[in-house]
Amino acid sequence: MPQGDSQERNGGGAGAMESLYPFLYSGAADLPAVLEQVRASTVAKATEILELRRVIAARDGARLADCARRAAARFGAGGRLFAFGNGGSATDAQQLATLFLHPAGGARALPAFALANDTSVVTALCNDIGVEVVFARQLAAFGGRGDIAVGLSTSGSSANLLRAFGEAARRGMLTIGLAGYDGGKMAELDSIDYLFVAPSVSVHRIQEAQTTIYQVLWELTLAALGATGSQRGGNRGPATSQEVSDVPRHTG
Amino acid sequence: MTEPRAAGHTEASRLFELRSGPTRDLAGQAGAVAEACHAMAIRFHRGGKLVVFGAGGPSTDAQHVAVEFVHPVIVGKRALPAISLTTDVATVTGIAEQEGVAAIFAHQIRVLAGPADIALGISADGDSDSVLAGLEAARELGLLTIALTGGDGGRIAASPAVDHLLAAASADPRVVKELHVTIYHVLWELVHVFFEQPGVLAPGVVA
Repeated sequence: MPQGDSQERNGGGAGAMESLYPFLYSGAADLPAVLEQVRASTVAKATEILELRRVIAARDGARLADCARRAAARFGAGGRLFAFGNGGSATDAQQLATLFLHPAGGARALPAFALANDTSVVTALCNDIGVEVVFARQLAAFGGRGDIAVGLSTSGSSANLLRAFGEAARRGMLTIGLAGYDGGKMAELDSIDYLFVAPSVSVHRIQEAQTTIYQVLWELTLAALGATGSQRGGNRGPATSQEVSDVPRHTG
Repeated sequence: MTEPRAAGHTEASRLFELRSGPTRDLAGQAGAVAEACHAMAIRFHRGGKLVVFGAGGPSTDAQHVAVEFVHPVIVGKRALPAISLTTDVATVTGIAEQEGVAAIFAHQIRVLAGPADIALGISADGDSDSVLAGLEAARELGLLTIALTGGDGGRIAASPAVDHLLAAASADPRVVKELHVTIYHVLWELVHVFFEQPGVLAPGVVA
Protein backbone atom coordinates (compact mmCIF):
# COMPACT_ATOMS: atom_id res chain seq x y z
CA MET A 1 0.00 0.00 0.00
CA PRO A 2 2.22 2.48 -0.12
CA GLN A 3 -0.03 4.35 -2.23
CA GLY A 4 1.30 7.57 -0.85
CA ASP A 5 4.89 6.44 -0.99
CA SER A 6 6.55 6.43 -4.37
CA GLN A 7 9.37 4.33 -3.00
CA GLU A 8 6.94 1.51 -2.62
CA ARG A 9 5.88 1.42 -6.20
CA ASN A 10 6.86 -1.26 -8.62
CA GLY A 11 8.71 -0.24 -11.73
CA GLY A 12 8.27 -2.08 -14.99
CA GLY A 13 8.58 -0.76 -18.51
CA ALA A 14 7.08 -1.92 -21.77
CA GLY A 15 9.26 -5.02 -21.79
CA ALA A 16 7.98 -6.09 -18.39
CA MET A 17 4.40 -5.47 -19.48
CA GLU A 18 4.91 -7.53 -22.61
CA SER A 19 6.29 -10.48 -20.70
CA LEU A 20 3.43 -10.29 -18.20
CA TYR A 21 0.65 -9.87 -20.70
CA PRO A 22 1.86 -10.96 -24.15
CA PHE A 23 -1.65 -10.90 -25.64
CA LEU A 24 -1.69 -7.11 -25.25
CA TYR A 25 0.89 -6.99 -27.99
CA SER A 26 -0.63 -9.57 -30.31
CA GLY A 27 -2.96 -7.06 -31.91
CA ALA A 28 -5.95 -9.38 -31.61
CA ALA A 29 -9.03 -8.61 -29.55
CA ASP A 30 -9.58 -12.20 -28.58
CA LEU A 31 -11.73 -12.17 -25.46
CA PRO A 32 -11.52 -15.89 -24.61
CA ALA A 33 -7.72 -15.67 -24.78
CA VAL A 34 -7.65 -12.60 -22.56
CA LEU A 35 -9.98 -14.22 -20.04
CA GLU A 36 -7.74 -17.29 -19.97
CA GLN A 37 -4.64 -15.15 -19.39
CA VAL A 38 -6.40 -13.33 -16.55
CA ARG A 39 -7.55 -16.63 -15.06
CA ALA A 40 -4.01 -18.02 -15.16
CA SER A 41 -2.63 -14.82 -13.64
CA THR A 42 -5.14 -15.12 -10.78
CA VAL A 43 -4.02 -18.68 -10.06
CA ALA A 44 -0.36 -17.57 -10.11
CA LYS A 45 -1.02 -14.77 -7.60
CA ALA A 46 -2.88 -17.14 -5.26
CA THR A 47 0.07 -19.52 -5.42
CA GLU A 48 2.48 -16.66 -4.63
CA ILE A 49 0.68 -15.64 -1.46
CA LEU A 50 0.35 -19.26 -0.37
CA GLU A 51 4.12 -19.67 -0.59
CA LEU A 52 4.86 -16.30 1.04
CA ARG A 53 2.75 -17.20 4.08
CA ARG A 54 4.55 -20.53 4.33
CA VAL A 55 7.94 -18.77 4.42
CA ILE A 56 6.82 -16.28 7.08
CA ALA A 57 5.25 -18.93 9.31
CA ALA A 58 8.46 -20.96 9.28
CA ARG A 59 10.74 -17.98 9.81
CA ASP A 60 8.73 -15.83 12.24
CA GLY A 61 6.27 -18.13 14.01
CA ALA A 62 8.23 -18.27 17.27
CA ARG A 63 8.91 -14.52 17.30
CA LEU A 64 5.22 -13.81 16.67
CA ALA A 65 4.36 -15.88 19.72
CA ASP A 66 7.00 -14.03 21.80
CA CYS A 67 5.69 -10.69 20.58
CA ALA A 68 2.12 -11.69 21.41
CA ARG A 69 3.14 -12.56 24.96
CA ARG A 70 4.75 -9.14 25.35
CA ALA A 71 1.68 -7.42 23.97
CA ALA A 72 -0.58 -9.47 26.25
CA ALA A 73 1.49 -8.41 29.26
CA ARG A 74 1.03 -4.77 28.26
CA PHE A 75 -2.72 -5.12 27.75
CA GLY A 76 -2.97 -7.04 31.02
CA ALA A 77 -1.37 -4.10 32.81
CA GLY A 78 -3.77 -1.62 31.22
CA GLY A 79 -1.77 -0.77 28.11
CA ARG A 80 -3.31 0.40 24.87
CA LEU A 81 -2.41 -0.21 21.24
CA PHE A 82 -1.78 2.48 18.61
CA ALA A 83 -1.68 1.42 14.95
CA PHE A 84 -0.49 3.52 12.02
CA GLY A 85 0.42 3.41 8.35
CA ASN A 86 -0.08 5.35 5.10
CA GLY A 87 -2.51 4.69 2.25
CA GLY A 88 -3.52 1.05 2.09
CA SER A 89 -1.46 0.47 5.24
CA ALA A 90 -3.67 3.05 6.97
CA THR A 91 -6.63 0.78 6.29
CA ASP A 92 -4.68 -2.14 7.74
CA ALA A 93 -3.99 -0.06 10.84
CA GLN A 94 -7.74 0.59 11.09
CA GLN A 95 -8.49 -3.10 10.68
CA LEU A 96 -5.94 -3.96 13.36
CA ALA A 97 -7.44 -1.44 15.77
CA THR A 98 -11.02 -2.59 15.27
CA LEU A 99 -9.89 -6.22 15.57
CA PHE A 100 -8.82 -5.48 19.14
CA LEU A 101 -11.52 -2.93 19.95
CA HIS A 102 -14.56 -4.71 18.52
CA PRO A 103 -13.64 -8.31 17.71
CA ALA A 104 -16.04 -10.68 16.01
CA GLY A 105 -17.49 -13.56 17.93
CA GLY A 106 -17.57 -11.99 21.37
CA ALA A 107 -13.81 -12.12 21.97
CA ARG A 108 -12.43 -9.85 24.67
CA ALA A 109 -12.37 -6.18 23.64
CA LEU A 110 -9.08 -4.34 24.17
CA PRO A 111 -8.25 -0.63 23.81
CA ALA A 112 -6.79 0.20 20.40
CA PHE A 113 -6.59 3.30 18.23
CA ALA A 114 -5.87 3.81 14.52
CA LEU A 115 -3.96 7.07 14.16
CA ALA A 116 -5.12 7.81 10.60
CA ASN A 117 -8.78 7.98 11.65
CA ASP A 118 -8.76 11.59 12.80
CA THR A 119 -8.67 13.60 9.59
CA SER A 120 -8.63 16.88 11.51
CA VAL A 121 -5.43 16.02 13.36
CA VAL A 122 -3.80 14.41 10.31
CA THR A 123 -4.51 17.34 7.98
CA ALA A 124 -3.54 19.88 10.64
CA LEU A 125 -0.16 18.23 11.10
CA CYS A 126 0.37 17.91 7.33
CA ASN A 127 -0.51 21.55 6.76
CA ASP A 128 1.26 23.12 9.72
CA ILE A 129 4.42 21.02 9.91
CA GLY A 130 4.63 18.20 7.39
CA VAL A 131 3.57 14.64 6.76
CA GLU A 132 6.68 13.33 8.51
CA VAL A 133 5.33 14.26 11.93
CA VAL A 134 1.96 12.55 11.47
CA PHE A 135 1.86 9.60 13.90
CA ALA A 136 4.96 10.71 15.87
CA ARG A 137 3.10 13.79 17.13
CA GLN A 138 0.04 11.72 18.01
CA LEU A 139 2.14 9.18 19.90
CA ALA A 140 3.77 12.05 21.78
CA ALA A 141 0.31 13.19 22.85
CA PHE A 142 -1.24 9.82 23.68
CA GLY A 143 1.43 7.17 24.10
CA GLY A 144 3.07 6.17 27.32
CA ARG A 145 5.12 3.55 29.00
CA GLY A 146 3.06 0.39 28.98
CA ASP A 147 1.47 1.05 25.60
CA ILE A 148 2.04 -0.67 22.27
CA ALA A 149 2.88 0.91 18.89
CA VAL A 150 2.30 -1.01 15.65
CA GLY A 151 3.44 0.58 12.38
CA LEU A 152 2.79 -0.91 8.94
CA SER A 153 4.65 -0.10 5.73
CA THR A 154 5.28 -2.14 2.61
CA SER A 155 8.58 -0.41 1.76
CA GLY A 156 9.70 -0.24 5.36
CA SER A 157 10.95 3.26 4.66
CA SER A 158 8.05 5.70 5.19
CA ALA A 159 9.55 8.74 6.91
CA ASN A 160 6.63 9.27 9.26
CA LEU A 161 6.81 5.67 10.47
CA LEU A 162 10.54 5.93 11.16
CA ARG A 163 9.91 9.03 13.28
CA ALA A 164 6.93 7.44 15.00
CA PHE A 165 8.99 4.43 16.07
CA GLY A 166 11.64 6.76 17.46
CA GLU A 167 9.01 8.60 19.50
CA ALA A 168 7.39 5.36 20.66
CA ALA A 169 10.70 3.89 21.80
CA ARG A 170 11.59 7.08 23.68
CA ARG A 171 8.29 6.82 25.50
CA GLY A 172 8.88 3.20 26.51
CA MET A 173 6.24 1.69 24.28
CA LEU A 174 6.47 -1.85 22.97
CA THR A 175 7.19 -1.28 19.28
CA ILE A 176 6.13 -3.63 16.50
CA GLY A 177 6.89 -3.03 12.81
CA LEU A 178 5.53 -4.71 9.70
CA ALA A 179 7.48 -4.20 6.49
CA GLY A 180 8.03 -5.78 3.08
CA TYR A 181 10.87 -6.26 0.59
CA ASP A 182 14.00 -6.56 2.79
CA GLY A 183 12.56 -4.43 5.59
CA GLY A 184 13.81 -1.13 4.18
CA LYS A 185 14.99 1.50 6.64
CA MET A 186 12.84 -0.04 9.38
CA ALA A 187 15.33 -2.94 9.40
CA GLU A 188 18.08 -0.47 10.33
CA LEU A 189 16.26 1.01 13.34
CA ASP A 190 17.01 0.08 16.92
CA SER A 191 13.68 1.58 17.97
CA ILE A 192 11.65 -1.44 16.79
CA ASP A 193 11.38 -4.33 19.24
CA TYR A 194 9.78 -6.77 16.84
CA LEU A 195 10.08 -6.33 13.09
CA PHE A 196 8.19 -8.71 10.84
CA VAL A 197 9.17 -8.60 7.17
CA ALA A 198 7.09 -10.08 4.35
CA PRO A 199 9.91 -10.98 1.95
CA SER A 200 8.33 -10.16 -1.40
CA VAL A 201 8.76 -7.49 -4.08
CA SER A 202 5.01 -7.31 -4.76
CA VAL A 203 3.25 -4.57 -2.79
CA HIS A 204 0.04 -6.59 -3.04
CA ARG A 205 1.46 -9.87 -1.78
CA ILE A 206 3.26 -7.97 1.00
CA GLN A 207 -0.02 -6.42 2.15
CA GLU A 208 -1.80 -9.75 2.04
CA ALA A 209 0.92 -11.40 4.12
CA GLN A 210 0.98 -8.48 6.57
CA THR A 211 -2.76 -8.92 7.07
CA THR A 212 -2.12 -12.50 8.12
CA ILE A 213 0.76 -11.44 10.39
CA TYR A 214 -1.29 -8.92 12.35
CA GLN A 215 -4.40 -11.06 12.52
CA VAL A 216 -2.39 -14.05 13.79
CA LEU A 217 -0.68 -11.67 16.24
CA TRP A 218 -4.12 -10.62 17.51
CA GLU A 219 -5.20 -14.23 17.94
CA LEU A 220 -1.98 -15.19 19.75
CA THR A 221 -2.25 -12.09 21.96
CA LEU A 222 -5.78 -12.97 23.06
CA ALA A 223 -4.69 -16.56 23.70
CA ALA A 224 -1.77 -15.32 25.80
CA LEU A 225 -4.05 -13.00 27.77
CA GLY A 226 -6.41 -15.87 28.45
CA ALA A 227 -3.55 -18.09 29.55
CA THR A 228 -2.29 -15.56 32.09
CA GLY A 229 -5.78 -14.89 33.45
CA SER A 230 -5.22 -11.17 33.23
CA GLN A 231 -8.06 -8.89 34.10
CA ARG A 232 -9.73 -6.69 31.56
CA GLY A 233 -7.68 -3.63 30.79
CA GLY A 234 -9.30 -0.27 31.34
CA ASN A 235 -7.50 2.27 33.40
CA ARG A 236 -3.89 2.28 32.46
CA GLY A 237 -1.29 1.29 34.92
CA PRO A 238 2.43 1.58 34.55
CA ALA A 239 4.17 -1.49 33.19
CA THR A 240 6.67 -3.10 35.51
CA SER A 241 10.29 -2.26 34.96
CA GLN A 242 10.98 -5.92 34.31
CA GLU A 243 8.32 -6.05 31.62
CA VAL A 244 9.74 -3.02 29.87
CA SER A 245 13.45 -3.65 30.29
CA ASP A 246 13.57 -7.21 29.06
CA VAL A 247 12.05 -6.44 25.71
CA PRO A 248 14.66 -7.32 23.11
CA ARG A 249 15.54 -4.49 20.74
CA HIS A 250 15.86 -4.91 17.03
CA THR A 251 14.94 -8.50 16.58
CA GLY A 252 14.24 -7.97 12.90
CA MET B 1 12.56 -20.81 26.93
CA THR B 2 13.03 -23.50 24.30
CA GLU B 3 9.79 -25.28 24.96
CA PRO B 4 7.44 -22.30 25.00
CA ARG B 5 9.08 -20.94 21.86
CA ALA B 6 8.55 -24.24 20.10
CA ALA B 7 4.94 -24.36 21.29
CA GLY B 8 4.38 -20.79 20.14
CA HIS B 9 5.86 -21.54 16.78
CA THR B 10 3.58 -24.54 16.39
CA GLU B 11 0.52 -22.48 17.24
CA ALA B 12 1.50 -19.68 14.85
CA SER B 13 2.14 -22.23 12.11
CA ARG B 14 -1.25 -23.80 12.70
CA LEU B 15 -2.93 -20.40 12.35
CA PHE B 16 -1.01 -19.63 9.15
CA GLU B 17 -1.96 -23.03 7.73
CA LEU B 18 -5.68 -22.21 8.20
CA ARG B 19 -5.25 -19.85 5.22
CA SER B 20 -3.96 -22.44 2.78
CA GLY B 21 -7.13 -24.37 1.92
CA PRO B 22 -9.23 -21.24 1.26
CA THR B 23 -6.39 -19.77 -0.85
CA ARG B 24 -6.30 -22.88 -3.02
CA ASP B 25 -10.08 -22.63 -3.30
CA LEU B 26 -9.71 -19.05 -4.55
CA ALA B 27 -7.38 -20.28 -7.28
CA GLY B 28 -10.24 -22.57 -8.27
CA GLN B 29 -12.48 -19.51 -8.67
CA ALA B 30 -10.05 -17.81 -11.05
CA GLY B 31 -12.53 -18.05 -13.93
CA ALA B 32 -15.16 -16.15 -11.93
CA VAL B 33 -12.55 -13.54 -10.98
CA ALA B 34 -11.71 -13.05 -14.66
CA GLU B 35 -15.41 -12.62 -15.55
CA ALA B 36 -15.81 -9.99 -12.83
CA CYS B 37 -12.70 -8.13 -14.04
CA HIS B 38 -14.08 -8.06 -17.57
CA ALA B 39 -17.47 -6.73 -16.44
CA MET B 40 -15.79 -4.04 -14.32
CA ALA B 41 -13.50 -3.02 -17.18
CA ILE B 42 -16.51 -2.53 -19.46
CA ARG B 43 -18.12 -0.19 -16.90
CA PHE B 44 -14.94 1.84 -16.39
CA HIS B 45 -14.50 2.02 -20.16
CA ARG B 46 -17.95 3.60 -20.42
CA GLY B 47 -17.11 6.20 -17.78
CA GLY B 48 -18.52 4.45 -14.74
CA LYS B 49 -17.04 4.70 -11.26
CA LEU B 50 -16.56 2.09 -8.56
CA VAL B 51 -18.56 2.45 -5.34
CA VAL B 52 -17.33 0.25 -2.47
CA PHE B 53 -18.89 -0.47 0.90
CA GLY B 54 -18.68 -2.73 3.92
CA ALA B 55 -19.47 -2.53 7.65
CA GLY B 56 -17.06 -3.13 10.52
CA GLY B 57 -13.74 -4.62 9.43
CA PRO B 58 -14.81 -4.65 5.77
CA SER B 59 -15.16 -0.85 5.91
CA THR B 60 -11.37 -0.76 5.97
CA ASP B 61 -11.33 -3.01 2.91
CA ALA B 62 -13.71 -0.64 1.14
CA GLN B 63 -11.28 2.21 1.78
CA HIS B 64 -8.36 0.08 0.66
CA VAL B 65 -10.12 -0.72 -2.63
CA ALA B 66 -10.81 2.97 -3.23
CA VAL B 67 -7.18 4.02 -2.75
CA GLU B 68 -6.04 1.07 -4.84
CA PHE B 69 -7.96 2.30 -7.88
CA VAL B 70 -7.55 6.05 -7.42
CA HIS B 71 -3.85 5.99 -6.59
CA PRO B 72 -2.36 2.92 -8.30
CA VAL B 73 0.62 1.26 -6.73
CA ILE B 74 2.17 0.33 -10.05
CA VAL B 75 3.67 3.22 -11.99
CA GLY B 76 2.02 3.82 -15.34
CA LYS B 77 -1.41 2.43 -14.47
CA ARG B 78 -4.09 5.04 -14.92
CA ALA B 79 -6.13 6.28 -12.00
CA LEU B 80 -9.70 4.99 -12.03
CA PRO B 81 -12.59 6.58 -10.13
CA ALA B 82 -13.51 4.74 -6.94
CA ILE B 83 -15.09 5.88 -3.68
CA SER B 84 -15.69 4.18 -0.36
CA LEU B 85 -19.08 4.88 1.24
CA THR B 86 -17.57 4.48 4.72
CA THR B 87 -15.43 7.60 5.04
CA ASP B 88 -18.06 10.35 5.36
CA VAL B 89 -18.68 9.99 9.08
CA ALA B 90 -21.22 12.80 9.18
CA THR B 91 -23.37 11.16 6.54
CA VAL B 92 -22.93 7.62 7.83
CA THR B 93 -23.85 8.50 11.40
CA GLY B 94 -26.62 10.83 10.20
CA ILE B 95 -28.26 8.08 8.15
CA ALA B 96 -27.79 5.55 10.95
CA GLU B 97 -29.44 7.90 13.42
CA GLN B 98 -32.42 8.87 11.29
CA GLU B 99 -33.08 5.98 8.94
CA GLY B 100 -31.26 3.12 10.62
CA VAL B 101 -27.96 1.36 10.11
CA ALA B 102 -29.29 -0.80 7.27
CA ALA B 103 -29.71 2.31 5.10
CA ILE B 104 -26.17 3.75 5.40
CA PHE B 105 -25.00 2.54 1.98
CA ALA B 106 -28.31 2.32 0.10
CA HIS B 107 -29.01 6.01 0.72
CA GLN B 108 -25.58 7.11 -0.49
CA ILE B 109 -25.85 4.89 -3.59
CA ARG B 110 -29.22 6.38 -4.54
CA VAL B 111 -27.79 9.89 -4.35
CA LEU B 112 -24.18 9.46 -5.45
CA ALA B 113 -24.23 6.58 -7.94
CA GLY B 114 -25.62 6.13 -11.43
CA PRO B 115 -26.49 3.31 -13.84
CA ALA B 116 -23.01 3.21 -15.42
CA ASP B 117 -21.31 2.55 -12.08
CA ILE B 118 -20.08 -0.55 -10.29
CA ALA B 119 -21.17 -1.47 -6.76
CA LEU B 120 -18.77 -3.65 -4.76
CA GLY B 121 -20.18 -4.84 -1.43
CA ILE B 122 -17.96 -6.63 1.09
CA SER B 123 -19.31 -8.79 3.93
CA ALA B 124 -17.32 -11.47 5.76
CA ASP B 125 -20.37 -13.62 6.50
CA GLY B 126 -22.63 -12.44 3.69
CA ASP B 127 -25.30 -11.33 6.14
CA SER B 128 -24.67 -7.62 6.55
CA ASP B 129 -28.03 -5.80 6.35
CA SER B 130 -26.45 -2.57 5.16
CA VAL B 131 -24.34 -4.26 2.46
CA LEU B 132 -27.30 -6.28 1.20
CA ALA B 133 -29.48 -3.18 1.07
CA GLY B 134 -26.70 -1.33 -0.76
CA LEU B 135 -26.44 -4.07 -3.39
CA GLU B 136 -30.22 -4.08 -3.81
CA ALA B 137 -30.33 -0.31 -4.25
CA ALA B 138 -27.51 -0.58 -6.76
CA ARG B 139 -29.34 -3.25 -8.74
CA GLU B 140 -32.49 -1.08 -8.86
CA LEU B 141 -30.42 1.75 -10.33
CA GLY B 142 -28.80 -0.49 -12.94
CA LEU B 143 -25.28 -0.66 -11.52
CA LEU B 144 -23.08 -3.70 -12.04
CA THR B 145 -23.10 -5.48 -8.67
CA ILE B 146 -20.25 -7.52 -7.21
CA ALA B 147 -20.19 -9.10 -3.74
CA LEU B 148 -17.28 -10.47 -1.72
CA THR B 149 -18.50 -12.83 0.97
CA GLY B 150 -17.37 -15.69 3.19
CA GLY B 151 -18.86 -18.32 5.45
CA ASP B 152 -21.93 -19.80 3.79
CA GLY B 153 -22.42 -16.58 1.79
CA GLY B 154 -25.51 -15.66 3.79
CA ARG B 155 -28.36 -13.70 2.29
CA ILE B 156 -26.03 -11.75 0.03
CA ALA B 157 -24.86 -14.87 -1.82
CA ALA B 158 -28.50 -15.87 -2.31
CA SER B 159 -29.62 -12.42 -3.44
CA PRO B 160 -30.72 -11.94 -7.05
CA ALA B 161 -29.27 -8.42 -6.76
CA VAL B 162 -25.72 -9.79 -7.10
CA ASP B 163 -24.24 -10.14 -10.61
CA HIS B 164 -20.84 -11.51 -9.60
CA LEU B 165 -20.25 -13.39 -6.36
CA LEU B 166 -16.75 -14.15 -5.11
CA ALA B 167 -16.87 -16.16 -1.88
CA ALA B 168 -13.98 -16.98 0.46
CA ALA B 169 -14.24 -20.61 1.57
CA SER B 170 -13.83 -20.06 5.31
CA ALA B 171 -16.07 -19.30 8.28
CA ASP B 172 -13.26 -17.44 10.07
CA PRO B 173 -13.75 -13.69 9.44
CA ARG B 174 -9.98 -13.09 9.66
CA VAL B 175 -9.24 -15.67 6.98
CA VAL B 176 -12.11 -14.33 4.87
CA LYS B 177 -10.65 -10.83 5.12
CA GLU B 178 -7.27 -12.03 3.90
CA LEU B 179 -8.85 -13.77 0.91
CA HIS B 180 -10.81 -10.61 0.16
CA VAL B 181 -7.59 -8.57 0.11
CA THR B 182 -6.11 -10.92 -2.47
CA ILE B 183 -9.34 -10.86 -4.50
CA TYR B 184 -9.52 -7.09 -4.72
CA HIS B 185 -5.82 -6.74 -5.43
CA VAL B 186 -6.32 -9.14 -8.33
CA LEU B 187 -9.49 -7.34 -9.48
CA TRP B 188 -7.61 -4.07 -9.53
CA GLU B 189 -4.56 -5.36 -11.38
CA LEU B 190 -6.40 -7.46 -13.93
CA VAL B 191 -9.10 -4.89 -14.73
CA HIS B 192 -6.23 -2.95 -16.28
CA VAL B 193 -5.42 -5.89 -18.53
CA PHE B 194 -8.83 -5.59 -20.20
CA PHE B 195 -8.73 -1.84 -20.03
CA GLU B 196 -5.50 -1.77 -21.99
CA GLN B 197 -7.10 -3.82 -24.77
CA PRO B 198 -10.24 -1.83 -25.62
CA GLY B 199 -11.20 -4.27 -28.37
CA VAL B 200 -12.57 -6.66 -25.77
CA LEU B 201 -14.65 -3.90 -24.16
CA ALA B 202 -16.79 -3.03 -27.16
CA PRO B 203 -20.55 -3.60 -27.00
CA GLY B 204 -21.48 -7.07 -28.11
CA VAL B 205 -18.13 -8.71 -27.27
CA VAL B 206 -18.94 -11.69 -25.10
CA ALA B 207 -16.96 -14.61 -23.85
